[in-house]
Amino acid sequence: MKGATIVATLFISCLVSFFIALKLGAIAITTEQVLQALWQYDAGDFSQKIIVELRLPRVILAFIAGSGLAMAGLILQTVTRNPLADPYLFGISSGASFGVVVLFAVTGIQAGLALSGAAFAGSLLAMTLLLLIAKGRTSGQVEAMLLAGVALSFLFSSFTSLLLYWSDPQAISAILFWNLGSFSRADWQWLWLPSSVVSGCMLIMLLLRRPINALLLGDESATTLGVSVEKVRLGMLLLSSLLTAVLVAMCGGVGFVGLMIPHIVRFFISQATTLGLITTAMSGGLLMIWVDVIARVSFENQELPIGVITSAIGSVFFLFLLMFRKRSS
Amino acid sequence: MDDRGSNRSPVIEVCNLDLKIAEHHILNKIDFTIQAGNFVGLIGPNGAGKSSLLRCLYRYVTPSAGRITFFGKSLFDYPRQEYAKQVAVVLQEIPDQFNLTVFDVVAMGVLPHKTLFSSVNQQDKTHIFNAIDKVGLNDKAQQPFSHLSGGEKQRALIARAIVQQPTFLIMDEPTSHLDVKYQIQIMELAKSLNITVLASFHDLNLAGALCDEILVLQQGELVAQGVPIDVLTAQLLADVYDVRASVVPVPCPYEGVVQVPHIRYHYGCKS
Repeated sequence: MKGATIVATLFISCLVSFFIALKLGAIAITTEQVLQALWQYDAGDFSQKIIVELRLPRVILAFIAGSGLAMAGLILQTVTRNPLADPYLFGISSGASFGVVVLFAVTGIQAGLALSGAAFAGSLLAMTLLLLIAKGRTSGQVEAMLLAGVALSFLFSSFTSLLLYWSDPQAISAILFWNLGSFSRADWQWLWLPSSVVSGCMLIMLLLRRPINALLLGDESATTLGVSVEKVRLGMLLLSSLLTAVLVAMCGGVGFVGLMIPHIVRFFISQATTLGLITTAMSGGLLMIWVDVIARVSFENQELPIGVITSAIGSVFFLFLLMFRKRSS
Repeated sequence: MDDRGSNRSPVIEVCNLDLKIAEHHILNKIDFTIQAGNFVGLIGPNGAGKSSLLRCLYRYVTPSAGRITFFGKSLFDYPRQEYAKQVAVVLQEIPDQFNLTVFDVVAMGVLPHKTLFSSVNQQDKTHIFNAIDKVGLNDKAQQPFSHLSGGEKQRALIARAIVQQPTFLIMDEPTSHLDVKYQIQIMELAKSLNITVLASFHDLNLAGALCDEILVLQQGELVAQGVPIDVLTAQLLADVYDVRASVVPVPCPYEGVVQVPHIRYHYGCKS
């Protein structure tokens, strides 16, 4: 299938999924009500209020989070030339969890904007440490980054565990719930933040796609093509960290997407093209819309954690693709 | 192909080049000049500093002392992108993952000629396909790069260099691990570009047959340079490589009137 056909198919799938996702949920809503809410919103209508005030920001956040995490994974895998790299490998997620736990331990706050702020601060701390370690190296920079990322991840996890060990059981369950991921915190007031960060990063990636992809050839080859390897790599690391930090702060821990979506997309389309990049972002968003739908409708009066579903669906799908690939080769 | 290298002026001049890494002398007081249009071979035993010297020339490492000029101007005075427009490099770093197609890899040669906002236009695409055609990979343009054989990969990397439109081509052991057929194919391809080339070799007969000039490195020092028939002597092979060999002049396969050295190694007897 040609790249343009893939993007067109994905675009239509996203639109259809978007619409279906607005319909499905704990309360049954008809197609007419969804259409009416989107075209002629009546704040007095309870069903329309659910669509516009609750489901719409949630579906938008799910799409943005999926796109952003897939892009962050693509960036990290490309600049480290490691197909197993993802935002969680670099300690950014552990840093966010650490921020949240510190907030609990110091203030006892277990919800609200402060929670997102703390997660963001923790991610930024992890990112800063990683940048300080990787900066200034000309050789072995990739290896240093990967090892430092794993070490930081464990370091923050150990601090988090220690603080949890000293916390009360109620706080522990709140933190665990946050860490499993959810889009229930989505609201119109804060949607501008992930939207602008994800769109900004997408624009930067589209502009820099050639130097970024040149890194796939190796540091030396990229240098001979006129690429400032260290600057591009550190810049992209900063970008993917920013993406992850904002999204983790908004949605909690949502694993797998950053690792697997770029992999899956690579089976079908070259990532070196503009269409490859757009396909990655759209696929991540599409997947996350449906993950959110599954989270909302699987059990009555109960919402499943996003992270649990992404890991389950993703790993099964990935194993299936690997087996299919083995047979076809 | 741009023919800026047709006048016989120095392309590269290296003066008193030193490279020290962690107090180890990798290169020591290296001096040489490469004239435009010449095909120059760089030889020397393992660890002699061939790759390090090439890295200095393509600006991956900064020399500790000395001066390198490219067309009379210090190498490091060229903006990064400007230098990449003129100097292409074929290395053995090969992307095996990420499903890049042959076209993707070759198309990266346009990078130095593009700004952030410019896109690959029809003219660029024609140029890319012409380069792929020139190296004989037409039918494999949309295949994954990782599916190519060793010789085909090297040809694809040369196609990328062609797309860069360089005046000077650097190749680091382009024929290593290749069958004889591909070794000859790759080197003839590089020679057919008619630009200045500096390539490191392990196969001394190949270097002797193809190169206009040979530079010999030993333990970071340039111990000989000149035309192959003068440089590749039995004495030099004994001194630099610690092997016994006899060297017989034979007609050059490309320019029959020129004599090139043919080396026969003496196995089983220590010099």
